[in-house]
Amino acid sequence: MVRMGELVTSDSAGDVLVSLGLGSCIGLALLDRRRGLAGLAHVVLPASGRRERDAPGKFADLAVPALVDELAARGGVHACMEAVLVGGAQMFSFGSRDSLDVGSRNEAAVRTALAAARIPVRAAATAGAKGRTVRVHVAEGVVTVKEAGGSEGVLYGSEVMA
Amino acid sequence: MTPDTYTEAQLDGLRELANVGSGQASTALSQMTGRPVDVSVPHANALPVAEAVESIGPAEAVVTGVAVPVVGEMGGVVLILLRQDDADAMCRLLGVEPDDEMALSALCEIGNILGSCYLGTFATMAGVAVEPAPPQVAVDMLGALAQTVLATSAEQGDTALLLDSELAIEGVECAFSLLLVPDAEGIGRVLDGMGLAA
Repeated sequence: MVRMGELVTSDSAGDVLVSLGLGSCIGLALLDRRRGLAGLAHVVLPASGRRERDAPGKFADLAVPALVDELAARGGVHACMEAVLVGGAQMFSFGSRDSLDVGSRNEAAVRTALAAARIPVRAAATAGAKGRTVRVHVAEGVVTVKEAGGSEGVLYGSEVMA
Repeated sequence: MTPDTYTEAQLDGLRELANVGSGQASTALSQMTGRPVDVSVPHANALPVAEAVESIGPAEAVVTGVAVPVVGEMGGVVLILLRQDDADAMCRLLGVEPDDEMALSALCEIGNILGSCYLGTFATMAGVAVEPAPPQVAVDMLGALAQTVLATSAEQGDTALLLDSELAIEGVECAFSLLLVPDAEGIGRVLDGMGLAA
């Protein structure tokens, strides 16, 4: 379970990393499928400003390098790393109150940080106005998404699951 | 002042504020529906942002959320969360069928009235002038609604402050929670106003 602002990586074959009910937050999955490694960060906000926080998954600008470092520490190879993005919805639209329209800013910030780290985004289920749950199956390198009231579908890595 | 931790005396004060506020809200709801409304003793919890959602409820449960932005001398959001049955019962009490297109605006109106009454307490008890902005309704996973509201308080620290009251309308199966997620800076002003500054 990866809760708000948390970041988890795994190399255990049976592990499934989960973030339940993502709204404006982004579930950022980073995979090294060849080595059976995966990580998931639950990004809440786009930018950390000057502050260093102890929750490395919370801010997009800190979460991407932290996830890359942790995966590398488990033996991941930077050139093989792939990203999948889930979330970043706009649950409420309060017009000018853009502090609550944080979903799209989160997605943009995560994509910017991934581009800076030269990591490709292979799939994304983002934006819109729906909450989503993301599951990352570590060994298989498969990412699934479920929307409110919907059924679970494979977002990335389907050839392995099928 | 943006406190990251709260003393027991401060939480007690905020609990009392929530108690009076949800009492005012329940009186208004009682007048609207013509039925008695029960209010539970509210919770005031300061907890790590990561734990905040699960303290509210199961993240994947689909609920109706009425979000009332708070504007003025304190920022934040009043979030009214109803399970589907309770949202339907509330609509019927207001004379609207749940699948009618008016249902969502009826729930917004409830958010407006409960929010105004609840927030009025902040002016009378703490001298902090706040009012509700127009509410928004969404039906989605509890986690998605709560996280979006909590994201604003996450901006100011790793601690989320939640003031949580339960209201139940007697004689019909309709209960719901009334949750205030204030910003830390604003709640500092509230504590000042109540003579509870750190």
